Amino acid sequence: MYSILVLLAVLLPVVSGICMGLIRTAHSRNILFVEALGVTLACTAIAAALGTGMAGAVDMGVFAFRLGADPISHLFAILFALLFLCAGVFSLEYNLHDKNQGRFNAFFLLTLGAMMGLSYSQNLFTFYLFYECMTLMSMPLVFHEGTRESMKAALQYLGYSLFGAALVLFGFFYAGQFCENTNFIAGGSFSAAGQAHLPMALAAAFCLMLGFACKAGMVPLQQWLPVAHPVAPAPASAVLSACITKAGVLGILRSACYVFGADVLRGTWVQTAMTVLALITVFSGSMLAYRERLLKRRLAWSTVSQVSYVLYGLFQFSAAGFAGALLQAVFHAVSKTALFLFAGAVIHQSGKTRVNELTGLGKRMPVVYGCFAFASLSLVGIPPFAGFVSKWKLAVGGLETFGPMGVAGAAILLISAILTAGYLFPILIHGCTEDGDFDRPLEPGWKMRLPLLVLALALLGLGLFTAPLSGVADAAASIFQEVIS
Amino acid sequence: MSAGLILAALLVPLLGGAAMLVHPLRDRGPRETWVMAITLITSILTVMLVTGGPREALELLTIYPGLTFAFRVDGLGRVFLAIVAVLWPITILYSFEYMSHEHGENRFFAFFTMTYAVVLGIACAGNTFTLYFCYELLTLCTLPLVMHEMDGKARYAGRKYILYSMTGAALAFAAMVFLYHYGSLDFTLGGSLDADKVRGHEDLLRSAFLLGFFGFGVKAAVWPAHGWLPSASVAPTPVSALLHAVAVVNSGIFAILRITYCNFGAALLRGSFAQMVMMAFPCFTIVFGSAMSWRIQHLKRRLAYSTVSNLSYILLGASVLSSAGLQAALLHMAAHSVFKIMLFFCAGAVLCQSGREYIFELPGMGRRMPVTFAAFALASLGLIGIPPFAGFFSKWALAGAAAAMDSPMGVVGCVALIVSAFLTGLYQVMVIVPAFFPTQDQRSQVRANEAVSEAGWRMKLAFVLLALLALAISFAVAPLSGVLGDIAIGRL
Repeated sequence: MYSILVLLAVLLPVVSGICMGLIRTAHSRNILFVEALGVTLACTAIAAALGTGMAGAVDMGVFAFRLGADPISHLFAILFALLFLCAGVFSLEYNLHDKNQGRFNAFFLLTLGAMMGLSYSQNLFTFYLFYECMTLMSMPLVFHEGTRESMKAALQYLGYSLFGAALVLFGFFYAGQFCENTNFIAGGSFSAAGQAHLPMALAAAFCLMLGFACKAGMVPLQQWLPVAHPVAPAPASAVLSACITKAGVLGILRSACYVFGADVLRGTWVQTAMTVLALITVFSGSMLAYRERLLKRRLAWSTVSQVSYVLYGLFQFSAAGFAGALLQAVFHAVSKTALFLFAGAVIHQSGKTRVNELTGLGKRMPVVYGCFAFASLSLVGIPPFAGFVSKWKLAVGGLETFGPMGVAGAAILLISAILTAGYLFPILIHGCTEDGDFDRPLEPGWKMRLPLLVLALALLGLGLFTAPLSGVADAAASIFQEVIS
Repeated sequence: MSAGLILAALLVPLLGGAAMLVHPLRDRGPRETWVMAITLITSILTVMLVTGGPREALELLTIYPGLTFAFRVDGLGRVFLAIVAVLWPITILYSFEYMSHEHGENRFFAFFTMTYAVVLGIACAGNTFTLYFCYELLTLCTLPLVMHEMDGKARYAGRKYILYSMTGAALAFAAMVFLYHYGSLDFTLGGSLDADKVRGHEDLLRSAFLLGFFGFGVKAAVWPAHGWLPSASVAPTPVSALLHAVAVVNSGIFAILRITYCNFGAALLRGSFAQMVMMAFPCFTIVFGSAMSWRIQHLKRRLAYSTVSNLSYILLGASVLSSAGLQAALLHMAAHSVFKIMLFFCAGAVLCQSGREYIFELPGMGRRMPVTFAAFALASLGLIGIPPFAGFFSKWALAGAAAAMDSPMGVVGCVALIVSAFLTGLYQVMVIVPAFFPTQDQRSQVRANEAVSEAGWRMKLAFVLLALLALAISFAVAPLSGVLGDIAIGRL
């Protein structure tokens, strides 16, 4: 039962994505679309309730194709499925008049399938396979509008992704040489051969993580994000920002803690270099978001900054940092989806794309702006919203175990939080307190409002009742701790 | 039995092709039947050679002590024979449709069929002398095919081809003289040099080996001798596909494998300056070829540069001088052959149906020629090396072999592979994306392409067969690499 559900979660989106091409009427296509997204979410949730373990493996000689689940798989799978469902429902209204809606739906589902595969991968080979698939399947989402600009952005996205994948592949080669195997084992399986070639092994681990960091938008490979997001349709930007960046995070998490092992990397130049890069990204992302006027690009820079919070937590290689990173990954994904759906609602209803054109809009679309307020408060990290918990854990974890780097980290996190408030709250204030040129109600239909409301309430709920999710994160981190001690 | 079989496999296409020159078949129907029959018979004979047991040598003629025309089937030869035997009939099937749009079909098929014999001769050659002879013959036999169009560009390409090949053969000849002097020309896995004679002259022989490497390397398109290959893409597409992506270029690789492993011997070269040189040039060519491929907008020429790059992957594997390296090289040779021939076929189908040669002319073609572009996409995934396609496994094995060398050059090899994998992704995807997803400003081109129709059934059948073959080698990669591993350590 459990195995079937895991396999179904991967295959269902893929199969229904392919079927999209065969269905002629938009109505039945959309029904299948939402059903596929919903059933995938149900599969991931029930599979999580049933437990963990291997779900299936196919031996391919040198490599094995291995799917299965541990708590981290479940966490990410449910997160991805939920956010795809929200963005998917939103897209029904957003893309209503788009003649290529079927194509969008198809690639949206295929991307989801690849991401399900990523979550349930149990070795580096399977992960790499789905990672490449995800790149290729999400590319049509970026150039969906079909303009020259969007094609250029998509090619840039492709270029960065392939470059990242090439670095990953390089690291993967050497991981194969220096680890007992490349299956995901808590604590990793670094071998004696690796100890004998430690400098090369560290370089390989660095390449592996840097390659994945490209998808996570870490400096110096962040530039695709602010280019790809503004041109993609809003639901696509939402999943790009919220989910695809998390695929990079998942890759780093897996390669650092499950292939090479945190013990190998702790205290080395790799940890220092990665942490410094992550902190630079946190700061510069916020700064650039603060200076950016185009709404979606501002949100993209915000993603650059916020995802590196997660990376900062991971690179602490401690239980507290790890738990904080997982929580931040979840909360950022939910808030950022909400923010991009907000941007989509604004663009769809008012046609405005720049921040300074939105004065007074809040009075005309109160529900949407209300959801935006929740998401912003969470992203800045103000209690009782969810983002506070994760940022608290990240900062405290850093201060406790990370020495001077932890102090620097806490300081940068604080500055970045202020900048985050600086780039999100003015939109809210100008939107709701001033009068603008908008003279009629612009509130969108329920298909747009419902996902926004769900996400906003989720942020409040997760912030008020932190215990269950923190429990999951701590449990995941405790496995990490046992192996280390 | 085995000897007779080799002779039959060589003579059937040679005489079958020559007969068409003597007695031209003007009508298409009988000609196609004749050519297909000859090709299929030869392929069946070749498959029997590949699967057959005893290794009996066929000795035709000794023209001087130590210089014998001898043919023998061994492990390395079997790999090459198998590749050629499977791909040749599919190419013939494709050519029937392709060449019906061209002139001079009789001459084309005559030389094409004779080339089959020569390639088999290279695969079965029992010593360096025979190999060299067939190698020269290959140049002459394929020249009319390259120059088929007989216009200015084709003549220029032909001249370039013959100049490069002859220069290479001259270098290879020099290497052969050294071999003859310091040992024998026979193929023995491990080396055929006489240890007593060699003592004290190791560096001389290593230099001689490099002459041979670069000599035969001309056909394998190693930089700086790669120039003929992109020029030769003016030839009709079946020639570009089978000869310039598979048969001829693999003959160059195969000859290098022979002199490396069976003449000079891996032991002589390992760790020496010769090994450094024979790794450095392919490493550079790998990156250079893919970078050029990325820049070039002419589809067939882009694929030709991609071939340049991929051939050097194989050479990189061979130059690691370990059985793992040889195994990886053979695996990539098989995988690249299938994927690249598919890509060329697609380019040819587009050329044939629409006359479009440049990538910027392709927007919207994916809708018009769905089978062709689906095949192109599949082959691209294989070439880029997206798992689970065979291209991934072969590149993985190559990098693994290079990494296991435990020398800086091995790391350089890995880096070259990675850089090239990245560029391959870019240059292949940039062909597919506009074909399937044209942007708004490409509308005029899309409209211009609207009249284009899908290729005929024979081309489509060729695509389907190749796609099945590509999937087969991808999913049977474990047993396949097992067999190749046995060959690499000399058990077959």
